[in-house]
Amino acid sequence: MIEVEDLSKRYGDVLAVDALSFSVARGEVVGFLGPNGAGKTTTMRMLTGFLPPSDGTAQIAGHDILEDSRAARRAVGYLPETPPLYPEMRVEDYLAYVAAIRDVPRRARDEKVSRAIERCALKEKRSHVIGTLSKGFKQRVGIAQAIVHDPPVLILDEPTAGLDPNQIREIRDLIAELTSADAEARQTVILSSHILAEVRTICGRVVMINEGRKTVDASIEELTRDGQSLEALFARQSASDLGDVAVSREVS
Amino acid sequence: MRHVPTVALRELRSLFVSPVAYGVLSLFAVLSGLFFSLYVAAFNAWMVQLQQFQAFDQLQELNLNDHLIGAFFDNVGMVLMFLVPGITMSLYVAEKNNGTEELLLTSPLTSWDIVLGKFAAAALFVTLLVAMAGALPGLLFFYGEPEVGKTLSGLLGTLLLGWTYVAVGAFASSLTRSQVVSFLICFVLLLVLMLLPAVADLGLAGAGDGLSAVFRWLSAGGHVQGLIQGLVDTADLVYFAVMIGSFLLLTRLTVDSVRWR
Ligand SMILES: Nc1ncnc2c1ncn2[C@@H]1O[C@H](COP(=O)(O)OP(=O)(O)OP(=O)(O)O)[C@@H](O)[C@H]1O
Ligand SMILES: [Mg+2]
Repeated sequence: MIEVEDLSKRYGDVLAVDALSFSVARGEVVGFLGPNGAGKTTTMRMLTGFLPPSDGTAQIAGHDILEDSRAARRAVGYLPETPPLYPEMRVEDYLAYVAAIRDVPRRARDEKVSRAIERCALKEKRSHVIGTLSKGFKQRVGIAQAIVHDPPVLILDEPTAGLDPNQIREIRDLIAELTSADAEARQTVILSSHILAEVRTICGRVVMINEGRKTVDASIEELTRDGQSLEALFARQSASDLGDVAVSREVS
Repeated sequence: MRHVPTVALRELRSLFVSPVAYGVLSLFAVLSGLFFSLYVAAFNAWMVQLQQFQAFDQLQELNLNDHLIGAFFDNVGMVLMFLVPGITMSLYVAEKNNGTEELLLTSPLTSWDIVLGKFAAAALFVTLLVAMAGALPGLLFFYGEPEVGKTLSGLLGTLLLGWTYVAVGAFASSLTRSQVVSFLICFVLLLVLMLLPAVADLGLAGAGDGLSAVFRWLSAGGHVQGLIQGLVDTADLVYFAVMIGSFLLLTRLTVDSVRWR
């Protein structure tokens, strides 16, 4: 569903993403890991068409993000690092607007909005003004706008940031539900996170990057087979810029 | 461009929950009402004066359109120059600060959906203002006999001027992340547009008629005057179309530059 080919992004002198390649099959949930500044957000922004790659390209659901940008964008539901919300709008009006600009036909909008509201446990808040919601609820509205149009591909940048443990569990269940549907409606998910415990439970596979380069690409099973923890791996893989002292502390 | 109304409608709804919209509406109502009554009073005083001096020739020439309505429309144009930047300043600035820019640009919307939708929303708001202003000269039809055609073409000129200001303001808003800066860029651009003929008169007297003619053409003033005087000239209509079109195109380029920076 997602094919990333030698994707690079340069900001002036900084090479934020360096010839990154990986692929994600339909129905897979991939955890995108890396220390702060590794290039996760930058990669997701390129995949969603917000930023142009400096080099390389990617296919989303068979559409090239450069050649066929609109079709690629139509196939994606995207939760940016900061949820893109209009503080003055009501939750349901906002979701209806997102559904409209995401090309959901008018007839189907009400139903899809209600479904997204239900799935993200926003029922009590549906007629609240977004600006008055707590951080966690804003995050849920952000997730609701990413799934409202039932996209085949979901790209979520730190979806559980700001949520309490119960809500994290709900999001985990939600993602499990999205990806376990029957073969046709199954969604493919890439999500970035810093919380390794969460990645272990939600994701089937991990792509780790550091300083823009891929360092690990393997299934959770493979990674934790010989008893080593994801934490240790994460620390080792992000060692180069943290220094050995920090690493040994992490591992011990 | 299927989603122009979707974008415009959302923009209008946000505008109407913001205090800015109501501030602008009431300020405009007060100012245009004030100017209108001042012009009516001045017109009356003048008429009485001319009658006292038995200046019948001039009394003959005095008419509601040229000596009241036209001047009033001129004034409405000035008021719009101060108020339109207030309406347009947040058009793009708010999207950038909310982070919703990322939503818009990663949705299947085209750049024209966004640019035309936002323009349409602010232009509709300005249309509401101009309609309010148009109601005042409308009152004169109960007391006198202004020319309908002249009044309407003046109203059209004011409307087109307002829309041009909106196109400039939308462009200004696409350039920055700050509402204040957006307001200032718009205001300065409008000021430059207005002062171009003066520049042509001052500095360029010897610098060639060509440039000076271009400056004069670029300025909105002359084109509005024609319409206020009742001359609906295609050349003037083309002027407004060109100005609005150019600024919309510039806005589109800046919106795209975010995508391809
Ligand atoms: N607009 C920008 N201009 C210049 N440099 C940028 C820009 N955006 C990101 N960078 C740089 O690119 C690199 C990767 O940033 P990115 O935001 O992709 O990291 P991240 O993996 O998402 O980090 P985090 O875990 O903190 O969210 C960083 O060095 C960052 O400073
Ligand atoms: Mg990030």
